[in-house]
Amino acid sequence: MKVESRTVLGAFTFLTVLAIVYWVLVALHGSSTERSGITMLVFSFSAYALLGTYLLAQYLRRHGIPRPEDRFDATQEDGAGVIDYFPATSIWPVGMGLGMVFGACALVWGLWYLAIGAVLFFGAVFGWVTESDYTEDVLPGSDPDELAASHGDFASSSAHGDH
Amino acid sequence: MTILEERPQFAFEAHEASLMEIVPGPRPHGIVKFVTSTDHKQIGLNYLFTGLAGFLVAGLMALVMRTQLIVPNNHFVTENVYNEMFTIHGTLMLFVFAGPFAFAGFGNYLVPLMIGAPDMAFPRFNNLSYWLYLGGFSLLLAGFLTNNGAAQFGWFGYAPLTEAIHSPGPGADLWIVGIGLTGFSGIFTAVNIITTVFTLRAPGMVMFRMPIFVWNILVTMFLILLAFPVLTAAMALLWIDRHLGGNFYNANKGGQPILWQNLFWFFGHPEVYIIALPYFGVATEILATMSRKPVFGYKGMIAATLSIGALAMGVWAHHMYTTGAVLLPFFAAMSLLIAVPTGIKFFNWIGTMWRGTIVLNTAMLFCLGFLAMFLFGGITGVILAQPVLDFQLHNTYFVVAHFHYVLIGAVMAGFGGLYYWLPKMTGRKLSEKWGKLGFALLFIGFNLTFFPQHDLGLRGMPRRIETYNAGMGWNFLNELSSIGAYITAIGVLVNAWNIFTSWRHGEIAGDNPWDGQTLEWACSSPPPDHNFEALPPIRSERPVWDANHPDMLTKVGH
Amino acid sequence: MCCSAMHQLTGLLATNFGSPSGVTTQDHYTRELWRLSGYFSVPIGLIVLGLITFAIVRYRHRPGEDRKPAQFQYHIPIEATYTIIPLVIVAVIFGFMYNAENHVDKVSAKPAVAITVDGFQWGWRFVYPNGHVQIGTADYNNINNNNDLPVLVLPSNETVQLHVVSLDVVHTFYVKEFLFNRDLIPGINNTFDINVTKPGLYPGQCNNICGEYHAYMRFLVDVMTPTQYAAWYANQPACSITTAGVPGIQKGSCAAINAGADFTGYTQAPKG
Ligand code: HEM
Ligand SMILES: [Cu+2]
Ligand SMILES: [Cu+2]
Repeated sequence: MKVESRTVLGAFTFLTVLAIVYWVLVALHGSSTERSGITMLVFSFSAYALLGTYLLAQYLRRHGIPRPEDRFDATQEDGAGVIDYFPATSIWPVGMGLGMVFGACALVWGLWYLAIGAVLFFGAVFGWVTESDYTEDVLPGSDPDELAASHGDFASSSAHGDH
Repeated sequence: MTILEERPQFAFEAHEASLMEIVPGPRPHGIVKFVTSTDHKQIGLNYLFTGLAGFLVAGLMALVMRTQLIVPNNHFVTENVYNEMFTIHGTLMLFVFAGPFAFAGFGNYLVPLMIGAPDMAFPRFNNLSYWLYLGGFSLLLAGFLTNNGAAQFGWFGYAPLTEAIHSPGPGADLWIVGIGLTGFSGIFTAVNIITTVFTLRAPGMVMFRMPIFVWNILVTMFLILLAFPVLTAAMALLWIDRHLGGNFYNANKGGQPILWQNLFWFFGHPEVYIIALPYFGVATEILATMSRKPVFGYKGMIAATLSIGALAMGVWAHHMYTTGAVLLPFFAAMSLLIAVPTGIKFFNWIGTMWRGTIVLNTAMLFCLGFLAMFLFGGITGVILAQPVLDFQLHNTYFVVAHFHYVLIGAVMAGFGGLYYWLPKMTGRKLSEKWGKLGFALLFIGFNLTFFPQHDLGLRGMPRRIETYNAGMGWNFLNELSSIGAYITAIGVLVNAWNIFTSWRHGEIAGDNPWDGQTLEWACSSPPPDHNFEALPPIRSERPVWDANHPDMLTKVGH
Repeated sequence: MCCSAMHQLTGLLATNFGSPSGVTTQDHYTRELWRLSGYFSVPIGLIVLGLITFAIVRYRHRPGEDRKPAQFQYHIPIEATYTIIPLVIVAVIFGFMYNAENHVDKVSAKPAVAITVDGFQWGWRFVYPNGHVQIGTADYNNINNNNDLPVLVLPSNETVQLHVVSLDVVHTFYVKEFLFNRDLIPGINNTFDINVTKPGLYPGQCNNICGEYHAYMRFLVDVMTPTQYAAWYANQPACSITTAGVPGIQKGSCAAINAGADFTGYTQAPKG
């Protein structure tokens, strides 16, 4: 997480400097109509600040104990165990996608498309959310608490302590 | 059929012919698989082939335009049809083909493989992204079926031409929502890939061991996260103007048409790098493998990518030099600076080939085509980055030539990527004979089409004109350019035929046909569900090479 | 003049790398920048292409050969060199560019002539200080017809100030021989100076997509010597109108002309 957070915070720093330089130059020489650029730059560095701080927090939370993917000498055994839940197929994304496409059509041809879109979209959201209940289906007998514990356990070599 | 993926536990056998296959449970086939699969490989292939379809459709439009322009005062198509053609050609090429083909097609297929992950972090989200993309593509095309036709104001749709009084009808709205949907698709893909790269790498795959391709995709994704929302916002304002009587871009009511230009190019310039960076990555991988060497200046390469990504956020108004409303020196300085990291990449690529044993197969030829064309496009880019010269060349065919050299350079790398990775994806190699013919036709055709256009621009031919006066000295060059376009078309067909036949009948590729270096060559071709049964130890940027060539490890130091 | 002769003497170095020569005083700066860019980019392009060609010829894998590829990865001095040299080059280019830009973009406080250039879908209106108007659209049926294009009449060797205004969508004022583009954007006030050194008739054209007949939005610039121009100008009554393709000068009302955007009667019929 160190490299990750540094990369994003580096981008944040660069954009902040850029925004300041641009702001000063526009104030000195620019036209009075140019307020969009500075606005967009401020939003840009804010976005990076958000993500960069999150990544930094993740890094600090581990008290310097690196994940296996951050260790130069890690072996495959260090990452042994459950990685994550990966659904193989799902019908819900296409439903949600269609819902959004119908929503887009509503912006072109009129609001009634939105009705179809909304039905598809929220139907798919419902299906999608209920599909995710993996602890029961997939690992029969596995205890949700145990899983949660293994997720939060930094000292163990679990690969995904922090996502 | 949902599974919790376990880390592979087998010791890696470098010369084992094929890895064992475990497929947990039944898998759907055919159309059901296409619709429901959340496998990053299936979704990657969907993107690749939908992107190619976009390329063919947009290419057809290019032929219509070049036919219209082959002689002066021609009436092959009407003004409005011509305007639709370049608008949708440009829009499809950028939003459906060049961008998603690389960052979503190759990106989806290869990023998890290259970092040793079983899939993307959010597989269902990934599937959703594809449908938004396909929906966007369809709506962009749907414009042609409406009364007033598709959008007719060019791919950067300057307000107020896009306002309802100047562009009535659903064509323009379809352009807005079509691009909007591909934008959402891009944002979702970006979230997905960033999370994957940050959290699903295999043990030992530290950030500074990731292939350059993965780094470039990562930076691209960050650019998408900043750029696409601005575009979506700009589009939303335009929609409000058109339908709800907003006046954001209406100067008569206190709005500012130039606001659109600022918003659009704040997206539009990063978009150029969103397109280019993944192809830089593709080219880097091919060059290293085919030269049988590590990437020269690996860390410098990453630094160059990062600085391109950073600088790309500060150059948007170099598309607006002639508006008289931007800070010329600031944007000129930033734009010229971007040339430096791009130059570094070129020298790193040369260093990668230096003292290697270079295999000149089709993939490598395309890669060299990329280097040549991108070099030329880059040089004309440095010219256009200077406001004084842009005052002369802005919006002329010189610009058309410049960006086609850059983009087609990228497309060349993309074709190289197909020749390089399709064997991994299908298990079969493409024909080298047809491939070399296809490359030659494309290279000659592209250059014949676009080289004369530099001169056309210097002779004052504006872009986006449906026809021209016979006495301007533009006739012969336009003829050449159109003939080049026809040769290009034949080249595209030859490559398409090659992909089509080799899919069924090509030579069996095996797991590692090119003596590859990165992790995707450690699994079978095509890779099994959830990718890896065993991973080699990851001790450098090229774990597969290290396992296969313990006698030829990267020299440390210099 | 002296400098261009000197460049002729230095042979190859005088090349404009394919760029045409312009007819304004700004032309000098633009072409100097062209040359400078050429001096840098041609050798750099050739060196890079040369290195690539050398590498693929020299290090090509030949069948039957068992040379091992070298496995080096870093060479800090070389990497630093090709970072620093390009930085220096772009700094030099920027310096020259900055200087040229200040000259090209300079707007005089006291121009000899000031003309307003209005663009509209799909024609031009040139308004002179006394209210005389040259207006017109092209023949939408025949792009080869040069007879009824709107004409912008200018004196040579004088500082002419053009104030460009859009009456509807974005257009661009572009004359190839001026080596210059400037956009007409609603809501933006754009003014620039030109000083044409060579009298003659130059074609101009809108250079920003502005709708259906964008390709036809052409005009002519008729640059006369100052004496010819003075004579021409004296013959244009105040608030009169010359319509492209229509012989003679019509009388107009100053109020109507100032009020602006009614083009009925001045535009060609769209294609039928
Ligand atoms: C296959 C060969 C190609 C040909 C013959 C071709 C031809 C053309 C032509 C004739 C135009 C319109 C020029 C004008 O009227 O201003 C154009 C515009 C454009 N092309 Fe291509 N093109 C090709 C490939 C590509 C590719 C591969 C891309 C991008 C990846 C691309 C992106 C664009 C863009 C962005 C525009 C500008 C559209 C606009 O003005 O709004 N083209 N092309
Ligand atoms: Cu740009
Ligand atoms: Cu126009």
